[in-house]
Amino acid sequence: MKMFKTSLPVMALAGLILILAACAQMKALPSLPDSHPEALAIGQQVNCSECHEDQQKGTMKSFAAFSHSGAFVKNHRFYAASDDRLCSTCHKASFCNDCHTNKVEMKPSTRYGHRPDREMPHRGNFMTLHKIEGKLDPASCYRCHGRANNERCVACHR
Amino acid sequence: MRMIYCSVICSASLLAIPLTASAADYSVDSSTILRIENRDIVGAKKETLLPVTQFLGFDANNLANGNLSLHFSGWFRYDLSDKSYNDDDLNGSFTYGYLQYKFKQANADIRAGRFFVHEGIVNEHVDGLNVRTELPMGFGFSAFGGAPVHTTHLYGESSDGKGDTIYGGRVNYRYKGMFELGASGLYEGKAPKLKNYTNGDHRQVGGDVWFSPHKSVEVMGHSSYNPETKRAAEHSYLVNIKPVQQLVLSGEFNEHRESSYLYAWSMFSGAALNPAELSRSTGGSVSYEITKNFELSADYKHYTREIGNADRYGTNARFKFMDNSVRGGLGYHYLRAGKNFAIGTNPSASYHELRGYVMHDTKTYFAAIDALAYFFKEKIYDEKSAWETTASLGYHFTPALALSGDISYGRNPQFTEETKGLIRLTYNFTFDGKGGKK
Repeated sequence: MKMFKTSLPVMALAGLILILAACAQMKALPSLPDSHPEALAIGQQVNCSECHEDQQKGTMKSFAAFSHSGAFVKNHRFYAASDDRLCSTCHKASFCNDCHTNKVEMKPSTRYGHRPDREMPHRGNFMTLHKIEGKLDPASCYRCHGRANNERCVACHR
Repeated sequence: MRMIYCSVICSASLLAIPLTASAADYSVDSSTILRIENRDIVGAKKETLLPVTQFLGFDANNLANGNLSLHFSGWFRYDLSDKSYNDDDLNGSFTYGYLQYKFKQANADIRAGRFFVHEGIVNEHVDGLNVRTELPMGFGFSAFGGAPVHTTHLYGESSDGKGDTIYGGRVNYRYKGMFELGASGLYEGKAPKLKNYTNGDHRQVGGDVWFSPHKSVEVMGHSSYNPETKRAAEHSYLVNIKPVQQLVLSGEFNEHRESSYLYAWSMFSGAALNPAELSRSTGGSVSYEITKNFELSADYKHYTREIGNADRYGTNARFKFMDNSVRGGLGYHYLRAGKNFAIGTNPSASYHELRGYVMHDTKTYFAAIDALAYFFKEKIYDEKSAWETTASLGYHFTPALALSGDISYGRNPQFTEETKGLIRLTYNFTFDGKGGKK
């Protein structure tokens, strides 16, 4: 116990030195820019490789991985789970929260009826279809309606 | 109609905000939407709905020393005629609102207020604090804590089934843009006792991976474990192969043990679900950009559940012309699903889905037509199909201010006949000289 008490200040000092060293090292890790330097056209399927060389700085992933192909848009949840700071250089939080939110006033496809090119969930008469789709893949319902955005569900599911 | 005028005036008053901007960058996103709907629900009286909704978003960047920013988004709605949704004429939501301090190094930031957290297996809406940073040698760290944002109370309960505190985070390691490994978890305070539902505490841990041994191959996904049930909850993985830049081949695997993954879904008494229940879906897709203006894709997915198997397959085409100002798409999918997935006593849940849209977006006007139809193998509530078509037309008064209107008509088993109209006034202004965000 005595030895532990004696070594405690040494360990604390070592920890402090490690933190200071880490902070000093972090100066060599520049942050991503706050926003994309050029305005991107609305409705364009962005291909990052058109301008960015496919070369990583530090530990960044390849830019090509983030090109907005149809496959990327469909599976964007995987990218957002680890790189949402890169998403945020081009997209405001509200872009995500048009669909992913705690309370939706109207279907996103209704709010953006003038933008049928945007991938939006539950187009058309999903009221009927959800009785099939919910049995087919309940996990896909849970992702958005399990912990949030349940107002429409609660109205009938009692 | 007075409310519409108020909303229009509110939107117009926001025009003044950029005039007061100094070194900071401001952006305002406002949409005032008046919907006009006639509803004819089987067995209910016809209704006319006139809800007017104001969506408002505000972002102020480069505040203080340039590192601080403020972000807000929310909406409120007022019903001018029959109640459009619940018992309230007036409704609203504070979606998010937070102060963010971004450091110049290490992508470090601190957020305080109401925000969403997407980190590894964590997807939460939190009132609290979030700290994130990259660390030397490829490591990274994120932590959050506070109270979960509550949602609508369950029927007959005075709670939504969520606990009152939540915290969690993620640590990760990246190696030279070649792979990333992450470990994340969350712990929500004890879930309230419910009268009519079996409730469970929301606690999960898990890991995620991204691996790209070559720029043409990516493997990514995550697995989660529920310490309450002491079983795996989810495995979800994706493989992308790009032999050439225009071609993407994807394969996916998803598996959910429902009593673990849906454990905290009070509405369906997730904690009471059969522990043996396992859902699995596997699939693949091919998408090929034939030219810069034309992309073709095909996909297939197989679903396996205790109640049966199902398959979905189909194809999509997307095109764009005239410097991206004309965009369109066509799609066809077929779902083959047996009687256990069907509505009521139907012998089949199979259906065909057809969709087509085209839009023209110019600096002055914009127009779109969108049509979607489902053809059921077996009639649902005596209807063989469900379809909806929407036409939209709008005009930009200025690059920031636009007025548009949509009209849609459809028939379906739920609402025999549905006619909807919508008038939309949008104001999206960015006072920012260096690009911007959408």
